[in-house]
Amino acid sequence: MACPQPVVTVKRALEENPGGALHVLLDNGASRENVSRFAANHGLNVAETVTGEAVSLVISGGPQQAKEGVAGRGGKSVMLVASDRLGDGPEELGRLLMKNFIITLLDVTEVPDLMLFVNNGVLLTTEGSEVAEALEKLGNRGVEVFSCGVCLDFFHRKDKLVAGAVTNMLTIAESMLQASSVIRL
Amino acid sequence: MVRDGDYVAVFNSIHRVMKAEKVLKGRQLGILLIPVPRALQSDCGLAIRYGADIRESVEGALAEEGLLPAEIYVKQGEAYRKVG
Repeated sequence: MACPQPVVTVKRALEENPGGALHVLLDNGASRENVSRFAANHGLNVAETVTGEAVSLVISGGPQQAKEGVAGRGGKSVMLVASDRLGDGPEELGRLLMKNFIITLLDVTEVPDLMLFVNNGVLLTTEGSEVAEALEKLGNRGVEVFSCGVCLDFFHRKDKLVAGAVTNMLTIAESMLQASSVIRL
Repeated sequence: MVRDGDYVAVFNSIHRVMKAEKVLKGRQLGILLIPVPRALQSDCGLAIRYGADIRESVEGALAEEGLLPAEIYVKQGEAYRKVG
């Protein structure tokens, strides 16, 4: 699995089974570090067993810990990125501010559970994006990145996705309506 | 966003840093405009990140264009060492 897929897969499994012990088998490399860090950052216990080039992790924690740590406060926090620019004003400044904002997320403690890119926002998740590296790092911290499929199609960028995965309007609508908070950029 | 061995050029004006980005990208140099790392200070909050392999080209281009940064740092481990 390519980064940040291991972290995203583990995050989903923990959300589906809060409080249960999760057994994960990984390569002994970046994915192991990312998954272990993700679990530790969410207050979960990680027990590692190295077997040759593979590593077996058992991730566990109290039900409350897992619920609060991963599923979060009764719902997910969602960031809707509906533009490749932050705020109204000169285009150049708006693009610079958006780039600056996304990279700055790497330095803050609270990151969103989901980032949904729609409309011009998909220019940030596709080829030529200057925040692809930052989005991958956010993915390794458990942030799920999704781009609107219709938007990718409109911009002829369906095969040019460089961060996260493709989603549809049903998932976007459900994610927003079930969220504990939605921040629109 | 800054890896060990990367250089960070800090500017004290948003207009200078934007102009510098444009000039360097125009020369096809693999730089990235980033928020100034927490450990460093800057008036405008933006910096340009580049690798050691293109340091000469980046700093040469900025000098040619009269866009020398206020300060230049190199990341060594977790610390930043001022080099310019």
